[in-house]
Amino acid sequence: MTTTHAPAPPTATAPSRLRRVAALAGGELRLFLRNRTAVVNSGLLPLLLVAAVPALGIDGELPLGPRLLVAAVGVTLVFVTYYNLVITYVARREELVLQRMRTGELTGLEVLVGTAVPTLLVTLGQVALVAVGVVVLGEWSAPVEFLLPVIALLGGALLMTVLAAASTSFTRSAESAQVTTLPLVVVTSALSGLITPLSVFPEPVALAARLMPVTPVVELLQLGLAGVTWDGDRVDAAGAWAAAPLPLAVLAGWLLIGTVAATRGFRWAPRR
Amino acid sequence: MHPSAPPVSAPVEAAPAIEVRDLRRSYGDFEAVRGISFEVQPGEVFALLGVNGAGKTSALEVLEGLAPAGGGTVRVLGADPVRERARVRPHLGVLLQASGLPGDLTVAETLQTWAGTLTDPRPVPEALAQVQLAHRADVRVRSLSGGERRRLDLALALLGRPRVVVLDEPTTGLDPESRRQVWGLVRDLVADGAAVVLTTHHLEEAEELADRVAVLRDGQIVLSGTQEEIAETQPATLRFTLDEDAPELPRVAGVQVVAQRPRVEWHTRALQPVLAELLAWAAEHHVVLRALEARSASLEQAFLAVAAEARTPSA
Repeated sequence: MTTTHAPAPPTATAPSRLRRVAALAGGELRLFLRNRTAVVNSGLLPLLLVAAVPALGIDGELPLGPRLLVAAVGVTLVFVTYYNLVITYVARREELVLQRMRTGELTGLEVLVGTAVPTLLVTLGQVALVAVGVVVLGEWSAPVEFLLPVIALLGGALLMTVLAAASTSFTRSAESAQVTTLPLVVVTSALSGLITPLSVFPEPVALAARLMPVTPVVELLQLGLAGVTWDGDRVDAAGAWAAAPLPLAVLAGWLLIGTVAATRGFRWAPRR
Repeated sequence: MHPSAPPVSAPVEAAPAIEVRDLRRSYGDFEAVRGISFEVQPGEVFALLGVNGAGKTSALEVLEGLAPAGGGTVRVLGADPVRERARVRPHLGVLLQASGLPGDLTVAETLQTWAGTLTDPRPVPEALAQVQLAHRADVRVRSLSGGERRRLDLALALLGRPRVVVLDEPTTGLDPESRRQVWGLVRDLVADGAAVVLTTHHLEEAEELADRVAVLRDGQIVLSGTQEEIAETQPATLRFTLDEDAPELPRVAGVQVVAQRPRVEWHTRALQPVLAELLAWAAEHHVVLRALEARSASLEQAFLAVAAEARTPSA
């Protein structure tokens, strides 16, 4: 009566982590494509950016092509990846979908990644569209150092995902996300160098701004795409790498903070 | 039959599919589950009953691997459902008391998506037929009725051919016909050797399905056993109608008189001898016991008695 037995090995092979995430992501993509408003907005945002950035004269320290790409990555990471994911995670939690998914073979991480896939694909797609727009406008110039913008884009997307997951801990509903996302959306974006170059701020303010979560992404993009440092100096590839350790460290630090906060604070079901 | 008693176990020499020993779970200072123990064998249905807030769902969440135990141990097929999640999940089917599904996927797409995450899923058409939703395969989830959603949820729980199934109020919101279909499904699962744990507020559901029952109150098991064992904890009822000219009823040991003539009601824990004595008296005095009823206590009576005890402040 007291003997226990381990579960018999399943006769079928368990799907790989990637296959499970792909299965969930497939369903999520289908949901996204059925939301016409979201699909149309996803296509419109890059077009608006391509039209608006030259008109507004944002960040005059960079040539137009890199300026557009920096704005595209920064804006989509904050307004699409972070903001959308906070709303998506909270809505799924409040609708009890996340808890349902956790009852299956998907792990918690797989649920979060699978749910984020459409948003991450939209992020990459929008950046790609802006890049195409830059080429069409004849403003494309070869990056000073190709790897830095790639790190900025992928690291930034990962950071926005973990910060979105962490933000759900103090976001009770999808509606309240409009308020709880404000600190990152407004404050850190404003101090990221995306709208106003950091070089115009007093040095202590600029230094504090460089420690914000979005700033290292913008810095790495400017370094890699145009060879421009945070204070406006022009550098070559070696100089770009020489200026990269601080933004790389800040990005890594925020990834660590976001991951710890998300791990500790993320709730799978509404409070009861 | 008591919280401090050894785990409630079935009279079968087999490895249990589920073992729960001295399980505890707290929310802050509030202890929702206070040291419960039970076992469930393969091919058995175990029902956890209790009023709202008794601790049923809190206990099940540990079993389902959704929350860690505050104390005690839980084993599903010999493994810890939280720490050895990957070993348990391919064999575990869970129907939560309340859960959501994305509304803009169709029924078939929902099952296909879920199937892609499982080790050994049933074919989607088979899963749809199992819950009588084949004709609704192409309907979006948001357009389903509450009962249809519940059946879809059940199909998801059973999609991975689980050997252990946890059903938290599986028929809530279902019409009587759908409820009976779900009962049939549970019987099929058990016939195939699955171990089933269910909670329900419908006592007839527990009577219909459960091999063994435990009644939770304030986080503790206060009654447990087979339905017969539980029923025996409450007195049986004898009812009959006596004519006004009938002689005085005999004084029978072990009888509590609940109602006097003309419609007499006795409660007793020794139904057979009391009934025999009553019939002998009636025969001797040529008395007709009209509308005679002799009934053992039901699970519902036992449950209501436990609930009533909970409402009665202790002295």
